[in-house]
Amino acid sequence: MSGINPGNVLTEAEGAEPAVPPPVSGGKAKPSWRSLNFGARFWIAIGIIAAISALAFFGSALYPYSPDEKVGGLYDSPSAEHILGTDNFGHDVLAVLMAATRNSLLLGLQAGILATLIGVLIGILAGYTGGWLEELLMGFTNIVLAIPAIIILILISISLQSTNIEFLKGFTGLALVIGITAWPWTARAVRAQASSVATREHIDVAKLSGARTPSILLTDVLPYLASYVVMAFVLQVASAILAESTLSLLGLGPSGTQSLGIQLHWALAFQAVASGSWWAFLPPTIVLTLISFGFLFLQSSLDEVFNPRLRRGKKKNLAKAAARRAEAAKKLAEQATTTEVPA
Amino acid sequence: MSRMLMRASNVTAVYAADDGRDVPAVDDVTIEVPEGQIVGLAGESGCGKSTLGNAMAMIANPPLYVINGTLEIEGQSIDLRTLDPNANRRHRKYRGDVVSLLPQGAMNAISPTLKIRDLVVDVLRAHDRNYAKSDAIDLATDRLKMLDMPTRVLDSYAHQLSGGMKQRMVTVISTLLNPKLLIADEPTSALDVSSQKALIEMLLAMVEKKIMSGVIFITHDLPVLSMVTDRLAIMYAGKVIENGRTEDLVHNARHPYTAALLASVLDPTEDTRTKHVLGIPGSPPNLGNPPSGCRFHPRCRFAMDVCTTKEPATLAEGDHEFACWWAKEHPRQSVPMEVSHA
Amino acid sequence: MGLRRYLTSKALWYLGALVVAVVLNFLLPRLIPGNPVDVIVSNLSQGANISSEQQAKIYAQFVEEFGLNQPLWQQFVTYVTSALQGDLGTSFSSYPTKVTALVGQALPWTLALQIPAIIIGWVIGNIVGAIAAYKGGGWDRSVFTTSLFLSSMPYYCLSILLLYVFAVVFGWFPVGGAYSLGMSPEWSWEFFWDAQSYFWLPFASLVLINVGGQAVGMRSMAIYELGSDYVNYSRGLGIGDAKMTRYIFGNAMLPQVTGLALSIGTMVGGALITELVFNYPGMGSLLFNAISSNDYPIIQAVTLLITVAVLVANFAVEIVYGLIDPRIRAAKSGE
Repeated sequence: MSGINPGNVLTEAEGAEPAVPPPVSGGKAKPSWRSLNFGARFWIAIGIIAAISALAFFGSALYPYSPDEKVGGLYDSPSAEHILGTDNFGHDVLAVLMAATRNSLLLGLQAGILATLIGVLIGILAGYTGGWLEELLMGFTNIVLAIPAIIILILISISLQSTNIEFLKGFTGLALVIGITAWPWTARAVRAQASSVATREHIDVAKLSGARTPSILLTDVLPYLASYVVMAFVLQVASAILAESTLSLLGLGPSGTQSLGIQLHWALAFQAVASGSWWAFLPPTIVLTLISFGFLFLQSSLDEVFNPRLRRGKKKNLAKAAARRAEAAKKLAEQATTTEVPA
Repeated sequence: MSRMLMRASNVTAVYAADDGRDVPAVDDVTIEVPEGQIVGLAGESGCGKSTLGNAMAMIANPPLYVINGTLEIEGQSIDLRTLDPNANRRHRKYRGDVVSLLPQGAMNAISPTLKIRDLVVDVLRAHDRNYAKSDAIDLATDRLKMLDMPTRVLDSYAHQLSGGMKQRMVTVISTLLNPKLLIADEPTSALDVSSQKALIEMLLAMVEKKIMSGVIFITHDLPVLSMVTDRLAIMYAGKVIENGRTEDLVHNARHPYTAALLASVLDPTEDTRTKHVLGIPGSPPNLGNPPSGCRFHPRCRFAMDVCTTKEPATLAEGDHEFACWWAKEHPRQSVPMEVSHA
Repeated sequence: MGLRRYLTSKALWYLGALVVAVVLNFLLPRLIPGNPVDVIVSNLSQGANISSEQQAKIYAQFVEEFGLNQPLWQQFVTYVTSALQGDLGTSFSSYPTKVTALVGQALPWTLALQIPAIIIGWVIGNIVGAIAAYKGGGWDRSVFTTSLFLSSMPYYCLSILLLYVFAVVFGWFPVGGAYSLGMSPEWSWEFFWDAQSYFWLPFASLVLINVGGQAVGMRSMAIYELGSDYVNYSRGLGIGDAKMTRYIFGNAMLPQVTGLALSIGTMVGGALITELVFNYPGMGSLLFNAISSNDYPIIQAVTLLITVAVLVANFAVEIVYGLIDPRIRAAKSGE
């Protein structure tokens, strides 16, 4: 008593081309980017990120003032000359904001890439190979996950501050530290996916045809994880930017440069909030919030693209479809009353 | 032919696709179950058999909508449509009581945080709010004893039961209220051979003991169907293309699709083993844009010109019904088995 | 997996994490080139007119006191044994105050702020997320977008906005601090009444963000559950919506409990910065001041305490999970 599907078995064995397109409820195929259905949420997120990137990269190139230039006094109000006034050092707030946004984005990108690479590597190795290596890697991952990342970041940053190695003192060092502390989430998510992919048939085929493990991982496992890796990367960038700003806010950021956290650090240290100098603290607060929201929104919209189960139809389309359906139902009901059903 | 238990007529159900279109998965299907019989519903995956089952069990949920159809069962006539927001409430009282569902993949059919006994109580209370807890447990206990099952399973969670035991337990729960019709949707597909046998024996015993008055058994496992069913209905691309007594279909298929489907699995004789039985070339059509005329014509060995343009009407020879132009031209003749020498 | 096995394995994991955390906590500040005593001595000598001879003497005294002349492993043993005896060392910047005394002043404020904020945020967030998933439509969209916005907002950004709008612009709440000038912490109604007016803004900013995060998680869990087989089957049995909603929430709750364990670390980290924005005299402010004055014993003590607290909280949540998930709890009766 076999459970084979009589219709398909032989055709597949013969390798015949299907004459007609596959049914609507097709099997889980490799996701193809062209068939993805990006929603409005995705484009809003992209818009936010693009606007902020434009501010960071074009803005700071075009703006006349330098972020290190003293152009006024302590917390000068916004004026035609300085649209967002000056900060506690008398620097132009907009100039500082644009430089800070640029630095924060670049740092987020570096740290995000690093964290995603480490996470994917560990996750894929653990998930694909299984056995003692998986136990070991995941044990390590879980231990690192249990310790609050911010604590490790604080401790390492303190050590970095007084290091003699020059390049570790700046943003590169910070990106490195954030990158090597932020990977465990990604590793866990990737491992779960990789171990489910590892049991699929095409992996056996690749093994039988003599492919070596690295090549299997690269060509037969990784493509199936692509959507997870993309989503993980987006989250990693956002959380790296936030981690940097948290550290800088605590006074652990690199000195003599700008970042959104450093800007907030000085605003708080010089009582900008209590003195009502909104131009000094609101811009970095808003930009940080938008960056964080934009990336998270992007991730959640990608999640809906890749996992249609989370997707819920648009109201307008739903209403239209419902109206059409009701019309069809009415017609069918009328047919039934006029013509007798053939027995 | 025995008295008719239930008749579902003109059932049409559509899936709302992402792009706003509706894809008809079941297209104007009428199906009957005689009193005390098991009717098999078979076809390739994606042919609409499970969708039809959901429509009849009244559990169609967006994106699936039933846009036409009536279920007549023992003098009651139930509107199967699920377009209005009240449909769910309207259908609820029939579910589990008049028509009950034995689901596909019963592995996850019971909430993992629920004890079996709690589900039993919830099911009975859903239809009679004043049902006493102890009465509910007593009923379930009696039912389990009657079917030679251990009563301690009532105190278990689903994850503590083996696959076969879970499926049998789900069967007992589905039939607690003595439903008139049980719709069994691929109940055996995830089970090993001995569990399959146990479940089928249990179902047969339940029909024997008149716990339910009729069963629709949905599966693509034709050997199982030919063993347990009295009648068979074969679906293709959202339509029933042939239906009749099981032995008639097996030995005297009138539709080329039925013949090909059965031939690929049912004939274990020496003769066919040495020869290459042809499967059905191609794959089921896209329901969003089905072929004109007979939906099977692009894959049919006997396709004629008329097949590509006009939909065949349903013909009957006794209680054996089929919709095929070839069959119309070849009355009372089985579809010839095509056998090519490998 | 039986409950006992589950708890033992969890306990072992957390013990492992604790060991790693303590080692990191001990080791990382000591990787600093030179040694922390340099900093404290140079701090001391600033302003005061101290000869280099005196400076060397003070230096030697501190090296002796902090045990920095011992080999690393011995320092570690000393560190662990004294930490176990509740001795977290002496503050550099407010020498000779004991670290435990300073922590003792800060800890109650942090606990009073964080424990209610985490619990209330978790409960409200789950209810809101569950309702959004169940109702769908416009309710779902607006709740989901708001929650996502709140949860994506860095803690300190919301804190800064709330502080500015409600304290500075509208003047409804005091601008920072935990109690009025001239008051000192004591068990009296007067003090309590004064302190509560300082409490609400930092509390609200923590709760709002926690609600957002939990609601987003609960919504997707509940949507996932809505599509599961048991919902379909329960419908097929005629079980009503109210009952089914209870099944769904019961199951969606379980991953949310684990989610709480995983997010406690982030919540605590975020809350520390919130204290900073509001100038709230808890552990966050203590840490901030210690960082700006290079007070390593305090930094180490705060990071150690936070790590231990987070690990203990995580472990507690895991125990609760083990107790409420029948797949773990009931397995011991076994089939």
